Amino acid sequence: MSSQAAAAIQVTALGKKFVTKRGTFRRTRVENVALAGVDLAIQPGELFGLLGPNGAGKTTATKILTTLLLPDTGSARVLGLDVVKETDAVRRRIGFVFGGERGLYWRLSGLDNLRYFADLYRIPPDVSRRRIANLLERLDLSERQHDKVELYSRGMKQRLHLARGLLNDPEVLFLDEPTIGLDPVGARELRVMVRELADAGKTIFLTTHYMFEADAICDRIAVIKKGAIVAEGTPSSIKRVVEHEGVVEFEVMGMTPERLAGLRDLPGVSSVVVADHELAQLVTLHCAHPADVMTQLGVILVGADLKKVSSREPTLEDAYVHLIGEST
Amino acid sequence: MRLRFVSPFAVLAWTFFPLVFAALGLFVLNRPGVTSTQLAYGVLGGGLIGYWGVTYLDAGNGIQDERWNGTLEQIFAVPTPLWAIILGKVCGGLLWGMLSFLPTLALAFFGFHAFLPHIDALPFAVSFAALTISFFAVAFMLTPLFALWRWAFSMLNGFELGAYVLCGFMFPVTLLPQWAQAVAGLLPPTWATRAVYASTTTEGPHDYVVWWAATIGLSVVYLVGASFLYELVQRKARVSGELALA
Repeated sequence: MSSQAAAAIQVTALGKKFVTKRGTFRRTRVENVALAGVDLAIQPGELFGLLGPNGAGKTTATKILTTLLLPDTGSARVLGLDVVKETDAVRRRIGFVFGGERGLYWRLSGLDNLRYFADLYRIPPDVSRRRIANLLERLDLSERQHDKVELYSRGMKQRLHLARGLLNDPEVLFLDEPTIGLDPVGARELRVMVRELADAGKTIFLTTHYMFEADAICDRIAVIKKGAIVAEGTPSSIKRVVEHEGVVEFEVMGMTPERLAGLRDLPGVSSVVVADHELAQLVTLHCAHPADVMTQLGVILVGADLKKVSSREPTLEDAYVHLIGEST
Repeated sequence: MRLRFVSPFAVLAWTFFPLVFAALGLFVLNRPGVTSTQLAYGVLGGGLIGYWGVTYLDAGNGIQDERWNGTLEQIFAVPTPLWAIILGKVCGGLLWGMLSFLPTLALAFFGFHAFLPHIDALPFAVSFAALTISFFAVAFMLTPLFALWRWAFSMLNGFELGAYVLCGFMFPVTLLPQWAQAVAGLLPPTWATRAVYASTTTEGPHDYVVWWAATIGLSVVYLVGASFLYELVQRKARVSGELALA
């Protein structure tokens, strides 16, 4: 009970399914399970990352916690408030940012966007004036504040999203894939800002499918797959899922299904991931004994153009692939 | 309001579209031999259609635009309740819609040399206020449906056109068949429109009190219905997740 009372976000057995209908004349009901009994506890001031592939349930979880959706089963509390019954109180104390370019009034200036949302958050005018000026300055948008949003770069739009999410000085900030579509520099800048917000004491709930992002800034992460949490802990503890394994990577031209099967059949190999890399294929192989595997490569891939063979320690991404499953 | 100023469609809605109806009405009704009542329909009809169309559809269009902008979810999850946001949109629509009278009356006066033959100032003012309340009640009640269903726009768009006929903006409702008059009687603008036109002619009847009472009474019923509808829409939107495009 004490940990529950102290948690900034407490989710218990959360379930949600969406019902859609297919067909024009013969309508059939289709149920899609988005969340299947999720449990989470996030402490105040924590930067928590929810990782998962597309359709795993990350956005649904975020939308329930931000009061945009109702759960079918289970409960969710933010700052001790029930997101179903105490909706207004939750909304006053949280902020949220969804990734992508939409979610702003493109024909209005950045300043007008913030003013409008400040009104909707019922922030007193003198407070909102000061806060908007501070946010524009902090997020490096002051010089372009009077320009229409349609003239902003993607990175500027995302920074404006973040400014909007911080307008009410929220205690908990939800960020749903905030760096999606940003260039590497813009994404890095945003990650730095998010880390600074967490260091300043805000609780942050971040969803992403970029492993390095979670590894770089999150205090703790959970991996979600098909609506269920399959792992939870610090990034280093998640990596331990594959600590007994090593990773062998190589580039090859002429990978065939037979050769792929041969790799999978090697003793100690747990997964093989193949990605196209220009004309060649980049193969990532998780295995218990990298040295043994490397000696076998020449035998299995005889006749293929093999190059850049290397062995390395597993990363969070390797742990993620292990947890989510192979993607060959 | 600022979004309306920068939207070409919003400007066309109170200028061009009402002008087309006004020109049509004046062309048909501004002829020798027409009664003063018929002439009033020609002079005011286009403006009333513009006023109604902008008020009714502006807030709904606004909701639809919010969905396309991806801002519908953002405004849904703020501490300000949905009804207050839509209230602002509908009130903005009323102000914007009233502008429709500028081009249509100008066309009547300068283009067709037509003007209202008679006007009882006080009944006209009260009737126009009642009309405004009735437009507000209908628009305020139906706008949240745009938030709930993506296809609502097409369905409710049809109602905008139906109201042109049923509410008697361009010709008296008494010309309609009995069943259509019965349906028209359920719409608050029908009674207010009748009062507005009655105040512009000496021809009777002039049962203002009855018409105003019918307008206000029906408007109150619509607003009570709206209070239930808003609750329902907010709950259903949170169940189905229909606020987002994807």
